[in-house]
Amino acid sequence: MPLFVLTMSARALGASTEEIARLIDAADAGATLVVPPGVYEGHLTIKKAVTLDGDGRVTIDGGGEGTVLTLLAPGITIRGLTIRGSGSGVEREPAGVRAETGPVIIEDVRVEDALFGIDLRESPGSVIRRNVVRGKHLEPGRRGDGIRLWWSHGCTVEENDVAGSRDMVFWYSEDLTIARNTVRDSRYGLHFMYSHNTHVSENVLSNNSVGVYLMYSNSITLERNRLLNNRGASGYGVGLKDCDDIVVTSNAILANRVGLYVDNSPSSADSTGVISRNYIAFNETGLLATPITHANAISENAFVENEEQAASHGRGDLSRNDFAVNGRGNFWSDYAGFDHDGDAIGEVAYEPRSLFFHLLASEPNLRLFIHSPAQQAIEFTARALPELQPTPILTDPSPLTALPTTGAPIGMSSKGSRAMGALGAALAGVSALVVLSLGRAPRLAPTGHPERATGGQEAAS
Amino acid sequence: MSTLSSVSIETGRRSYSGFGASVAALARREFRDALSSRWFILFTIAFAVLTIGVSFVSLSGVGSHGFSGFSKTSAGLLNLIMLIVPLMALIAGAGTIAGERERGTLVYLLSQPVSRTEVVLGKYVGLACALCCSLCLGFAVSAAVIAWRAGGVGVAAFSLLIATTCALALAMLAVGLLLSIISRRANVAVGLGLFVWLVAVFASDLGLMAGTVLFRLRVQDVFALAIVNPLQAFKMAVIVGMNASLDVLGPVGAYATQSFGSALPWMLWSVIVLWTVVPLSLGVVLFARKGSI
Repeated sequence: MPLFVLTMSARALGASTEEIARLIDAADAGATLVVPPGVYEGHLTIKKAVTLDGDGRVTIDGGGEGTVLTLLAPGITIRGLTIRGSGSGVEREPAGVRAETGPVIIEDVRVEDALFGIDLRESPGSVIRRNVVRGKHLEPGRRGDGIRLWWSHGCTVEENDVAGSRDMVFWYSEDLTIARNTVRDSRYGLHFMYSHNTHVSENVLSNNSVGVYLMYSNSITLERNRLLNNRGASGYGVGLKDCDDIVVTSNAILANRVGLYVDNSPSSADSTGVISRNYIAFNETGLLATPITHANAISENAFVENEEQAASHGRGDLSRNDFAVNGRGNFWSDYAGFDHDGDAIGEVAYEPRSLFFHLLASEPNLRLFIHSPAQQAIEFTARALPELQPTPILTDPSPLTALPTTGAPIGMSSKGSRAMGALGAALAGVSALVVLSLGRAPRLAPTGHPERATGGQEAAS
Repeated sequence: MSTLSSVSIETGRRSYSGFGASVAALARREFRDALSSRWFILFTIAFAVLTIGVSFVSLSGVGSHGFSGFSKTSAGLLNLIMLIVPLMALIAGAGTIAGERERGTLVYLLSQPVSRTEVVLGKYVGLACALCCSLCLGFAVSAAVIAWRAGGVGVAAFSLLIATTCALALAMLAVGLLLSIISRRANVAVGLGLFVWLVAVFASDLGLMAGTVLFRLRVQDVFALAIVNPLQAFKMAVIVGMNASLDVLGPVGAYATQSFGSALPWMLWSVIVLWTVVPLSLGVVLFARKGSI
């Protein structure tokens, strides 16, 4: 492979992208071009299979118009560039980097202030790796996607860091590898539309509206992802809509509005869904499924301290799914049964029946009264008067009585315990001081009557 | 009685130095009386034990994960506070003036050179200090437990919970004091206090829930009706302080967050403050009228 390395002195500010274009024109296909450091203004279109390496010191600034960098030949590699300033009008979909043929490699690129970050159109076999994408500061409804694949099969998207965009979205793209990406403060962390046969692992999706949303996409495995604090209007950690043969396993699904939302997945008659070994904790609702949802094998998950462990979205229950496989169910932190024979499986089925949440299902406004004594009063009434108890939303015939090993990236933290201890000590100290100083009988001024004051002190002590 | 005599000396001695000094002297006397009374010690112990229990139960078994936001521990504590603190404050307030009136010591107190306003305010301030001390002791123990079991809630969130709880206690104390002023006997005042507690804690919420279901109330109506209740305002103030949003409270919470945004905490706090200022002023006015001894 011919190597063509340019060594030039650092450029002054305000160079034009035409200089890079001239370098590319002068190079042979397959050459590696080390672009001199500096800020280049304007747009750049590459139509030759070259490697463009900025070594982290090259910025291309589109000046807020159009698509900044366009890749039009297979075999292009771009690496170590900063791309910024695309247009912002959503109708032309301006992007930081756009490829219209594949394969291309986009590595160690930083995209800032772009409507769409990295956009692959019909670019199969491409690699998007270790890039950083920051969206434009727009209201959520007007943002573009951080990373988008469109009809691009067999791509690898890994170790990217996306924040403040719309989605990292995959349209009609199959056989992808999606690993170790971070998406935060966006709409959907990972969004699959009609994209099949993909392995999604070890991604961290936090503070988005939805962590991972799979729609009409089949044969996808979600493994060891961390879904944290996704609380938008829909607010799911993982959402599954009309997807067949999905495997959701060993994910940590924490503090979302809804941990796992399942709507009619699997949708075909002969397919199944597997939801196992996930750690689903501290969500408002752990598992939410439409009553039509069926044929999911839900086992060995840990449902820990979700406000509502499982719920049906609409009238009905979740009874058409299996909550135990080979005699092993799930761990439910609110399980009140017992394990008689010491096999760590409860002898009494887990059947959640909360009257308050039953009422919530038909009247969502009542959620205002959650965390209140009134809620407790309603639950107490239902326990005291069994005829008021709703039918259980699900039945787990063999609930686990010990927390299963899930392999999920939970990430323990004990930060703040020292500060909390200090707060406790300070509070105790201050209140003790107040009690001691004010709680004694008053010391009277010398002009007072000492003998009567002594009497007062005796009475107070 | 002999406690009172020492105070009458004190108040008598200090009355010439003005309004504030009289109130302070009366407050100190009330504070000391509260500390030596059985209900106060009982409540302090009960509150501390229950907060420890809640902290333990909420954190046990699963370890903690250091999440910010609204955790199970805070939810458990919130429930406990809404149950216990209003009861504590209402009964403390209700017992005070009506009790002295019944025992006849009120006449004696008012024969001292102190104004009736000073008596009401002094009693209020003294009891308020006692209540806040009692709550802080309970929270201190709870904080120690949480720290020992490796912090499930953030320190800032916990401090906010403490501050809001004290504000709630002050509001309920003002209501209790008002009940005490309008009641002739201590039993009646405490009974009224229990009734108000039942209404605030259970009846109003349950009634509003029934109304929401039966009349299909709109979110804005549910919200407006709910925040009239100081307990609901308290709960929302805590949640909005920890979470910056009321989205955990469903559509009504989302409506409130979207409609009022950053003004929401101020709104909720002003509800609590109004529940303090209005009953207290009303109490001062009613007590100042002749013949209320």
